[in-house]
Amino acid sequence: MGKLIMFWARECPHCRNMMPLVDKLEQEIGIKLEKLEVWHNEDNADLMRSYRDILAPKCGGQLRTPTFFNTENNDVLCGEVEYERLKEWALDQNG
Amino acid sequence: MKKYWRCFVCNDIHYGLKPPETCPTCLAKNAYVEISSEEAKIISGMARVDFNKEKFLQAIEKFTESNEFQVNPDKERVKMLLDGVFNNEQNQGLKYCPCRLITKDFEEDLKLVCPCNFLIHETYMEKGECWCGLFIRRDKNG
Repeated sequence: MGKLIMFWARECPHCRNMMPLVDKLEQEIGIKLEKLEVWHNEDNADLMRSYRDILAPKCGGQLRTPTFFNTENNDVLCGEVEYERLKEWALDQNG
Repeated sequence: MKKYWRCFVCNDIHYGLKPPETCPTCLAKNAYVEISSEEAKIISGMARVDFNKEKFLQAIEKFTESNEFQVNPDKERVKMLLDGVFNNEQNQGLKYCPCRLITKDFEEDLKLVCPCNFLIHETYMEKGECWCGLFIRRDKNG
């Protein structure tokens, strides 16, 4: 499995809502997501921008937060989702 | 291409493909003449207008009054979003959406300035709210 990244933003309510779900997911299935804040960290922002061609087509043509991303297979999950949807995505990355 | 226009009566500035037929400020007809961006910038800069969060909130509430959408009644959410919008203005120059990252392509990033044209967002069409949730369709709220 490649590296799993969560691009998030400090003042994004969707990201705030997803954080406890991500914590729960990490505990429940024993994976770790790298959480990268993009509006207050230029390195993280540049990294997200470097994946623009992969991320944007799956997120309404833009770099939206939160975005979940697997650097190995380029799989993307975009936006605020139910816990089960997040878990399903994460388990798919394991397979 | 959009151009700058100045009302020769009251110095209203308009940015667009065509000048207004009637000046919205002084009501003079056929009063606009094309000018340079530099002249427009100088005239626009004559009156300093500061916008704090409270004033911005009033402005977007006014903006929604005659529209099918409103500012989200969830005050905590609105506060968080306005904090982001103003942090982005301070750090990046414009009131960019806190839930979408700028690409550094200026024209592309103008689509992220709040309020953006969220009527075309799939989240607005499907769920009745803009991507960040600052604006929601009135019927969504009951």
